[in-house]
Amino acid sequence: MADDSVIRSPVPGVFYRRPDPGSPPFVEEGDEVEPGTVVGLVEVMKQFHELRSESSGRVRGFTVDNEDVVNAGDTVVELDGAG
Amino acid sequence: MTTAEERVGTRYSFGGDEWILVELAEAMSVGVNMRSLAICRRLEALALDGVIDICPANASYLVRLDPDTIHPRALEERLRELEAEVGDASDFHLQTRIIDVPILWDDPWTRETVKRFADRHQTPELTNIEFAAEINGFPTTDAFRDAVFGTPFLATMLGFVPGLVWGYQLVPPERQIEVPKYVRPRTDTPERAFSWGGAFTAVYPVRGAGGYQLLGMCATPFFDSRRRLPDFHDRDWFFRAGDIMRYREVDRAEFDRIRAAVEDETFRYPLAEVEFVPQRWYDDPDGTAAALERSLDDA
Amino acid sequence: MTLEILQPGLQTTVQDEGRLGLYAGGMPPSGAMDKASYRMGNLLVGNPDGLASLEITYLGPEIAFRDDAVIAVTGAQMTPKVNGEPIANWRSHAVRADDVLSFGFIESGARAYLAVAGGIDVPPYDGSRSTYTLCGLGGFEGRALQAGDVVPVGTGVDGRAGLDVPVDLQPDLGGDTELRVVVGLASYRLQPESLETFLTADWTVTPDANRVGYRFRGAELHFVEREQPAGAGSDPANVVDFGYPIGSIQIPGGVEPIALLADAVTGGGYATIATIISTDLDRIGQSKTNDHVRFREVTLEDALEARHQARARLDRVRALLTDSQEHAIG
Repeated sequence: MADDSVIRSPVPGVFYRRPDPGSPPFVEEGDEVEPGTVVGLVEVMKQFHELRSESSGRVRGFTVDNEDVVNAGDTVVELDGAG
Repeated sequence: MTTAEERVGTRYSFGGDEWILVELAEAMSVGVNMRSLAICRRLEALALDGVIDICPANASYLVRLDPDTIHPRALEERLRELEAEVGDASDFHLQTRIIDVPILWDDPWTRETVKRFADRHQTPELTNIEFAAEINGFPTTDAFRDAVFGTPFLATMLGFVPGLVWGYQLVPPERQIEVPKYVRPRTDTPERAFSWGGAFTAVYPVRGAGGYQLLGMCATPFFDSRRRLPDFHDRDWFFRAGDIMRYREVDRAEFDRIRAAVEDETFRYPLAEVEFVPQRWYDDPDGTAAALERSLDDA
Repeated sequence: MTLEILQPGLQTTVQDEGRLGLYAGGMPPSGAMDKASYRMGNLLVGNPDGLASLEITYLGPEIAFRDDAVIAVTGAQMTPKVNGEPIANWRSHAVRADDVLSFGFIESGARAYLAVAGGIDVPPYDGSRSTYTLCGLGGFEGRALQAGDVVPVGTGVDGRAGLDVPVDLQPDLGGDTELRVVVGLASYRLQPESLETFLTADWTVTPDANRVGYRFRGAELHFVEREQPAGAGSDPANVVDFGYPIGSIQIPGGVEPIALLADAVTGGGYATIATIISTDLDRIGQSKTNDHVRFREVTLEDALEARHQARARLDRVRALLTDSQEHAIG
């Protein structure tokens, strides 16, 4: 089940790459992430759920755009060299 | 659709299998509210098995039932009978209370809120009080204030959130004040803010979003889930539909004294048990309202 | 007995049958959004009706049991695991002190129920242990559970592990679904073509969907223009404020219908046009953001028949499980 090379959203909702509209994105393509690094937010039920990486690696890219709607289980970020 | 054989003017409607909505009229008036109350009081007295909630509302009422105990159509029949018995409610004698509700007019807290959300208001350059006075043709804000405090209000409905009371002023239709709501609702309103929206007043029972125009601050709570005050020992709210509320302007010193009494949990709402007879009010609205207020002042 | 919340999930609250009889004061019932799944959970662990469970929304919590217990997870399929090993939904399990219950991603449905033999034993408030977060009352300190909370569990019920709700008796789990409604209330305010649109459109559950209400997107609806009656407000979507049944659907401004649910506002000035039948409230409780729903008009008699069938199914589960519990004692 676990796939370290992607980060998936466990909840359905609206995906955000920034903590708020005026701030830079949590991570950009090419950034290194560690277990626990926040890569985005998903808003649902008027709550913001933090998406965190479970492994370390480098961000290859985002499979959804900022403010896209995601389903539970959707891949949001792909990682290179994850482990 | 709605049930067959609609009586002209009244709509009986099933809200799924557990609710019946009875809309007595499309327009608000003291008379239609009295009919709603009269029917609801009779229904309460019947204590029918399977009736879970009886909720009087402004120009309607809502009943929740357990369809495993009472068939919705059987209850509808019973409600139609009650409507016929009550008629125009001209012989209804409402046993109720007139309750003193202390208000600090144009207070600093709601003034701050009005400023903070000015961009959501139709006239950002005016205060809510100035806007409400102007749109209702009052020459000054003082004249508006005198009209608000001049005549008591009927508690016509509770709901939205626990303890929120709709207040409808006991004046003839031509003197009813109506105030449009905010263009976009505020995301914040202080607890106990005294407000007006459409034809109704409301005191915000808890802090939260809202679109009513803010006029002042009530010194006393409308909701208390910790039930600290004696008036709240049995329930989270004190008011019920059919109560009469006398909003009374207090100065800052009295406001602070009442707040202190609330804080040390000694405050009790001043009230008097009264009988409100709609027919007497139709015949002499101002005299009847003044007599009610005297009962409270003498209590 | 207690259990400890290690991770709370997105929104995990204590719920039971709900707080009835206070609607006239503006107090919504709260209670489990999917009553059938909640009730079957109690039956699986041998609880009497009405004991409280945990309602788990979208994202599962991580829970450490401080005592031996018998548990069951019903409702949404979220791959419950004990100490990392998947366990079956709709089945009672024995857990040991220090065992940890966790969950995987949600696969179907929206809300899972964790029943524990003895029930979640928070103090009742106005006759119910249900959480009403808007006013911060009931449940565990009036709020959703947080990491570190130690939640009391009742004693005196000896559940038995290994009992199942057979697949054919398990309730449907929402998702893309049809919700049966009784049209009425202030539906006369809607233009007839719009009522037709309401009943035929494909509606999507928006992210704005919680215990208070679900907002849908999919079509625009129009109200009959009129000179607004006294006290009804200026918008054609407004009526003189009235009571809202649980399950009723309003359409502020003609866009995005809102279905009012367990923690709903109890009244207000928006025209409501139809009410989801009580049986299908369970089903909407298992619908989640991005799911598609349709509203199908039924009669009161259809609604009562659906209620009867749902009750019969619960009674069959009850008979089956009560029988097993008695054999266990014998």
